Amino acid sequence: MKALFQLYIQQFKTTFATMFQYRASLIIWMIGQVLEPLVYLIVWSTVSNSNGGNIGSYNTGAFVSYFIILMLVNQVTYTWVMFDYEYRIRQGFLSFALLKPVHPIHADIADNLMSKAITLPILTVIAVILALSFHASLTLTSWRIILFIPGLLLAFGIRFLLEWTLAQAAFWTTRVSAINQIYFFFLLFLSGQIAPLSILPSAIQITAKILPFYWMMGFPTELLLGKVTLASALFGIGVQAVWLTIAVWLVRVVWRLGVRAYAAVGQ
Amino acid sequence: MADGNSVKPLSSYHTVKSAAINPVVQIQGLSKTYIVNEQEAGAKATIRSIIHRKKTQVAAVDDITFSMAPGEIVGFLGPNGAGKTTTLKMLSGLLYPTRGNAVVLGHIPWKREKSFLRQITLVMGQRNQLVWDIAPIHSFELNRVIYRIPLDDYRSILKELTELLELGPLLTKPVRNLSLGERMKCEIAAALLHRPQVVFLDEPTIGLDVTMQRRIRAFIAEYNKRFGATVLMTSHYMADVAALCRRVVVIHHGHLLFDGELAFLLQKFTSHKTIIIQLGECQADLNVYGEVLACEDGRYTLRVPKADTARITERLLADLPVVDLLVEDPPIEEVIDRVFTEWNP
Amino acid sequence: MNYFRLLRVFFRVNVAGELAYRINFFINLFQSVLGLGMSLAGFAIIFSFTTTLGGWRPEEILALVGVYVMIGGIIRFAIQPGMEQLIQSVRDGTFDFTLTKPEDAQLLAGISRIGIWEIINICLGFSLLVIALVRIGGRIGGLQAVEFLAMLLTGSVIIYSFFLILTTLAFWWVRVENILVIFQSMYDAGRWPVSLYPGWLRYGLTFVVPVAFATTIPVEALTNRLNWVTLLTAFVLAIALFIASRMFWKLGLKHYSGTSA
Repeated sequence: MKALFQLYIQQFKTTFATMFQYRASLIIWMIGQVLEPLVYLIVWSTVSNSNGGNIGSYNTGAFVSYFIILMLVNQVTYTWVMFDYEYRIRQGFLSFALLKPVHPIHADIADNLMSKAITLPILTVIAVILALSFHASLTLTSWRIILFIPGLLLAFGIRFLLEWTLAQAAFWTTRVSAINQIYFFFLLFLSGQIAPLSILPSAIQITAKILPFYWMMGFPTELLLGKVTLASALFGIGVQAVWLTIAVWLVRVVWRLGVRAYAAVGQ
Repeated sequence: MADGNSVKPLSSYHTVKSAAINPVVQIQGLSKTYIVNEQEAGAKATIRSIIHRKKTQVAAVDDITFSMAPGEIVGFLGPNGAGKTTTLKMLSGLLYPTRGNAVVLGHIPWKREKSFLRQITLVMGQRNQLVWDIAPIHSFELNRVIYRIPLDDYRSILKELTELLELGPLLTKPVRNLSLGERMKCEIAAALLHRPQVVFLDEPTIGLDVTMQRRIRAFIAEYNKRFGATVLMTSHYMADVAALCRRVVVIHHGHLLFDGELAFLLQKFTSHKTIIIQLGECQADLNVYGEVLACEDGRYTLRVPKADTARITERLLADLPVVDLLVEDPPIEEVIDRVFTEWNP
Repeated sequence: MNYFRLLRVFFRVNVAGELAYRINFFINLFQSVLGLGMSLAGFAIIFSFTTTLGGWRPEEILALVGVYVMIGGIIRFAIQPGMEQLIQSVRDGTFDFTLTKPEDAQLLAGISRIGIWEIINICLGFSLLVIALVRIGGRIGGLQAVEFLAMLLTGSVIIYSFFLILTTLAFWWVRVENILVIFQSMYDAGRWPVSLYPGWLRYGLTFVVPVAFATTIPVEALTNRLNWVTLLTAFVLAIALFIASRMFWKLGLKHYSGTSA
């Protein structure tokens, strides 16, 4: 356990040094992170205003809050391993990882956490600025804030593990960009990135709630926003716990299968 | 530099040829100085560096002067970081010098006139100009169009190069599927399609196995014979230089240490000889005769001062039951190392 | 001229490897269709709640998405790959080879790579545009069509010059490997009419990262929203940026070759 802790500290240092070297790249990347929810925020505000000030249970101020919170939730939950896993395998880095007595997922978790420790504060400041400029409306109650924390952490766990599993597809195919795109297609529609789930047709809502995508982003966002009743929130956290268990199991299974495939072929 | 025994630029050893007849390459007082940002380790130093960057000046090339006659193959010797690649880059027009001038084929290289670029070529070991994912023949086609080589000329030179370098089966395989040696052969071919008059080679055999190195050396010699191209080759493999170049230019810390015939260099800086003597077994202590470098199965390798070679050989034959005896020059690497280490910067 | 021969050869060279496998086509087709679906996602949902968006009708937004996909395809077909390759070659030293060739380095670098499969996106975008134009119907006259094509052309020149400026920065800032991503992230905002955005964002998307010139402005020409000022600005900007980017490029080359301007 202590060794693992030290590993995390070491990875934190590495990530910090790397990010510092590439700080200009970071700024460029963050522009993209802010722009997408900002665009939807503006578009939906326009639609809401031309519709008499609200759509469904969302008024214009709520739309603004929704997308700002979503931006932060996305920032906390997103991962990027599926983009360079194929590169890792091709370049032989995976062989090095397999030789170590530690599961490679830990390095990725540490790297992920450290990156966010740096970028999240900056993005939070931007979020506050946006909230003020676009007149976000948000009222918070204590139970929402309390339940938001497990909701967000579970969302991160589900998303990280499932996306890490997605990255393992590189063991079996080189067409990872196609596979990733299918994933992002569903993520876009069902996680609440285009529009709050509760204003979408019920068929989409049901699909989204059966699949894990809503529980990765939309749920904690709507929870904090107050679009979810206390009972539904508690139920939702339960669903998240179930999905987290599934995700953990999936990571284990796929990883074992992947390593077997990799070792059989050799590198 | 002041010590009479240490090395000074020995320009009097120029072969008279190169200075007199229209030189293909003429360099005068060429220098290149870089300003380098210093990077220190540690978080505090990193953050300090945002406010104040420490800079130092590094003279990569310092006051180099020499010329080359048409058709010469000159070896450009020096350890890593000596300034060889920087000099080559200035001569091929890739870098502007800080001081000095150079004229190659009547052009100033860093003006990068198209008529100049059509007559030269640069081959860099371990760096590919060939497009990675496709067969070399496609990259050749590219060069044909870029250099505006007439189709007939292209076909005939391609045939010759394919023959000389044994490229046949390699031409249609994607570059990424070729071995390092095969790739290098194709790189060299691609660089020579336009029959350049001046060929700059930067470590062309680096990383290759011995057989391939030999083949490429043989090719360069043959190419020079057939087409009369002037070749300036850098290498830190002595075998490359010994096989191809009568004349070498030695550079170290950016300074030109020696310019003249390789044979002369070896003769001047060889202070020792190696005696290999075969006895029954390795039990005797031969240190009284000379420095024992190694012994294996009774085969001793001794290092003795050149002047004493005859005397020590006589004594060895008289004193010991010698089965076999051989006197050799030390490896050229050792000689060159001496050239470098004896020069006091 | 040798330029066209060069283009032909580079095209052949780039395509040689890719077209060998038919499956590449189907996978790329699949991805392009998926991408189109994602671009249209917002459109579909938004217009289930409203009939206009900031004064724009659905078929006009559809035309915008079509242009967005089409121009995006053109950028990733002809402009972006060459620039990315150039930045990479500066980093790994193979740019030296480009410099020793007797052809203009900007030219060689620009056409060195193409994204052959983006032709699918160009076709998809164009088809969408045509569908949208049919829906818009008779409100388009000859003048609008000409203005549209003119704005597409100036837009392309502006985008190319912008990419060249970003790429030239790589001579100084070798570590900013993803500098081209600036355009990529902001281009997403081009899916919607730039007039929707607040002033500062509109300004940024027009004059800082010229997304508007690629998407909104050509479609404004089609839908009769274009005024003379914008038209003229586009032309002037295109010419000015093209010249400025070329001069900046030359400066970058000088810096790379180790001389102070």
